[in-house]
Amino acid sequence: MAKAIGVAPTRMELLKLRQRAALAQKGYDLLREKMDALVIEFFEIVRKIGVVRAKTMQQLSSAYRSLSTCFAVQGTIETYQAAREAKKEVEVDISTRHVMGILVPAIEAKPVERHALARGYGVYTTSSALDEASREFEKALGDLIKLAELEEGAREIALELEKTKRRVNALEYVILPNLKSMVKFISMRLDEMERENFSRLKRIKAMLEGRE
Amino acid sequence: MSTDRILQFELARLNAHLPEQRITLKDALSASDPQVVAKDGSKHKFERVELEYISKIVHADDWDKLRLPILIAVNPKLGRGAAEISGEVEAKVISQVLGKERRNQEIVIYRPEIAVVRAKLPTTTQYFFMVG
Amino acid sequence: MSFKIATIADAETVAGFALAGVQDVHIHERKEGTLAKMDELLASKDVGIVFITYRVAEELGLEFRRRMRTKKLLPVVLRIPDKTGWLPKVDELQEIIRRTVGAEIIVKGGS
Repeated sequence: MAKAIGVAPTRMELLKLRQRAALAQKGYDLLREKMDALVIEFFEIVRKIGVVRAKTMQQLSSAYRSLSTCFAVQGTIETYQAAREAKKEVEVDISTRHVMGILVPAIEAKPVERHALARGYGVYTTSSALDEASREFEKALGDLIKLAELEEGAREIALELEKTKRRVNALEYVILPNLKSMVKFISMRLDEMERENFSRLKRIKAMLEGRE
Repeated sequence: MSTDRILQFELARLNAHLPEQRITLKDALSASDPQVVAKDGSKHKFERVELEYISKIVHADDWDKLRLPILIAVNPKLGRGAAEISGEVEAKVISQVLGKERRNQEIVIYRPEIAVVRAKLPTTTQYFFMVG
Repeated sequence: MSFKIATIADAETVAGFALAGVQDVHIHERKEGTLAKMDELLASKDVGIVFITYRVAEELGLEFRRRMRTKKLLPVVLRIPDKTGWLPKVDELQEIIRRTVGAEIIVKGGS
């Protein structure tokens, strides 16, 4: 029977198994706390996403509308021309934030709003429609940058949460029960062996005494 | 057994996000780019908004006593969903955020309260999982 | 660290973002061309964010999703609506929530 488990029924093995079970129990308790903590983080970021998405979608719609207006007022070719000539300056600062074993991005837009002259397209042919469209898209860009940060963060947290959940489940449903039953088995086997030993000794003693 | 190794790995990783060295509120406020370096070498920045909020709660004399990030210590012995913040100034900050009473040197908070604290101070607090 | 932003979309959307100052733009025409551009952006060290419209992402299909699963942390890729406001039937975030938390939480804010 011991061969089937691959562990010899000795006191040494029992001790090792008990240690492993204790480690697994500790791991289970802690990883479950980590899982709970990740859920808190996840819900908070999802809440923020709800808020920012609403705002962003509205602003983006507004931007597309003003672009349509611009096409109508300024002309399609002229608008595309201005788009090509716009001084492309936008950059973002990306750093990292730590949340329990995972890195989430922290993105900061460098100032996006620019004045007409700095925008780069010809001042003489400019119209307020072009300025309006640029402004609306600049605002939308600011919102989208925030949204990108949040959505990526949510994705990272979700991945880690899934991984942690798998470990917790493996511990709860497979590893811990396995270890506990092995401990029980070996313990019982050792008791049994000790009893057999004891009765064997008794018989030998009786035999020896019988001779005398 | 490989599961033991995975377990050891996961436990070691639990606190990898924590900094080698925490910094005082005083230093953080005066730094141009307040941050700490985590055990794995990556950087963790503090939001100025949070630093300012904390500086209003804490007496200026105590600014060099408060170490950041404030650690939300999770100890399974406290029971699932409970955590402890220790340190007199740290406990004061948390009790102020929650509007909750504290014992002198520490405060125990529960899951919904942890959520409130994390939402209010996301970069200036960190979880600390007590493995030992 | 400083990074650039890139956009992959139809001509109009791209124009709008160019007006806002987005440096790197790609107008989607053929699948292969766009996927090549995506790979270029994903491998680049200076691009921090890539905006791609839902429509184009949908057209790229499996190839797009595979890259999303295997990419590094940066650049961050965000899908955005174009002027038609077209959205896929399934909201990815909703799906993630359902998978990880096993519950129906409605994400407010539309989409």
